[in-house]
Amino acid sequence: MKKLQSNILNMALMLTVIAVVAAGLLAWVNNVTSGPIEEINNLAIENGIKSVILGDRDIQFTVDPPVERDGFVFHSVNDMNGNLIGTAVESTDRNGFGGALKVMVGFNPEGVILGYTVLEHSETPGLGAQADDWFRQASAEVKEQSGVADVILGAPGNPGNHNIIGLNPGDNLLTVSKDGGEVDAITASTITSRAFLRSVNAAYKAVFGYTAADGVSGASSQN
Amino acid sequence: MSYFKTIVNGIVKENPTFVLLLGMCPTLATTTSAVNGLGMGVATMFVLICSNTFISLLKNLIPDGVRIPCYIVVIASFVTILQMVMQAYVPDLYKTLGIFIPLIVVNCIILGRAEAFAAKNNVLASVCDGVGIGIGFTLALTLLGFVRELLGNGAVFGYRILPESMNMLVFVLAPGAFITLGLLMAIVNSIKNRKAE
Repeated sequence: MKKLQSNILNMALMLTVIAVVAAGLLAWVNNVTSGPIEEINNLAIENGIKSVILGDRDIQFTVDPPVERDGFVFHSVNDMNGNLIGTAVESTDRNGFGGALKVMVGFNPEGVILGYTVLEHSETPGLGAQADDWFRQASAEVKEQSGVADVILGAPGNPGNHNIIGLNPGDNLLTVSKDGGEVDAITASTITSRAFLRSVNAAYKAVFGYTAADGVSGASSQN
Repeated sequence: MSYFKTIVNGIVKENPTFVLLLGMCPTLATTTSAVNGLGMGVATMFVLICSNTFISLLKNLIPDGVRIPCYIVVIASFVTILQMVMQAYVPDLYKTLGIFIPLIVVNCIILGRAEAFAAKNNVLASVCDGVGIGIGFTLALTLLGFVRELLGNGAVFGYRILPESMNMLVFVLAPGAFITLGLLMAIVNSIKNRKAE
């Protein structure tokens, strides 16, 4: 078969035909995959709510329909008697090291952090991507730092406090220790750590309505 | 040229990463770990084989004047299909590679092979070229990711090989990508040249 000539009719016709066929194909694939994609996303949210509020506890619970406000999504979790166990908040910080960092944080009614999970991130693997584990470890075993070489080569000596679970952003200053706060940043990933803690504080603020760590708030509401 | 030779050609003689130096952006960005490199390589190979097949099939129907827009539409369609299918059925891999998948559209390996090979050869040869170049790209990315993860993180595919105290952080970061790529390229090309002599 001879190649079609490059006159205006042929060009317009072929480009249109190819574009229409491609659009049809994409519409069909979208139709097939949109169901499973939504299922996966819902499942991720559901598991996220369960893990940030209940942790390992195995109790019956119900989740209120999500409420969306100011870019946050709130899921209130009740026990079977209708008492509030806690609130899971989806919170996004746009200034992670690799872009937006989306976390879900669970608070009990007093504002104490019950748990968190990282829903979406584009942080560096092996560094910022550790955020999903880092801020839940108990004060890590203090490792010997053997000096300058370790700092340059990034040997992970992880002493200090980086567990945020059980803290209350109203009482505790949840910023990295470099900025005067109580939490040690992920080794060599201060920007990720800052973004993570910002989104946690923003989530707290969104639920409890007052500035994190302003000295008045959390203390008076506790007990 | 036999079909087998076309495949081997893509892996060794015209390896897209080490010889043609095409598609450097995803090469440097995604190879922070061996698994990411492998996933990106396989995803690219899928798009490359599909686009090579279709462009070769359509080569006489596409007028020269609009061939680039037509190629891009074909390539972008396959990338979008891949993205939706991955999101639906392999969500974990999609989570790690997510932001890089749409960038396959502008990966110059794919447009380059469409223009340089698929538009001039028959369908079967074009498929073989896609397989060869795809395997070559996948091997290169996996190797690069392997070295970077080994030196930077000490663990490859989840298995710890070097103790944590030997981690050289720089290899996981951007400068490490350039250093590793440069060294690997020197090694591969010196082996190739020695064979040629």
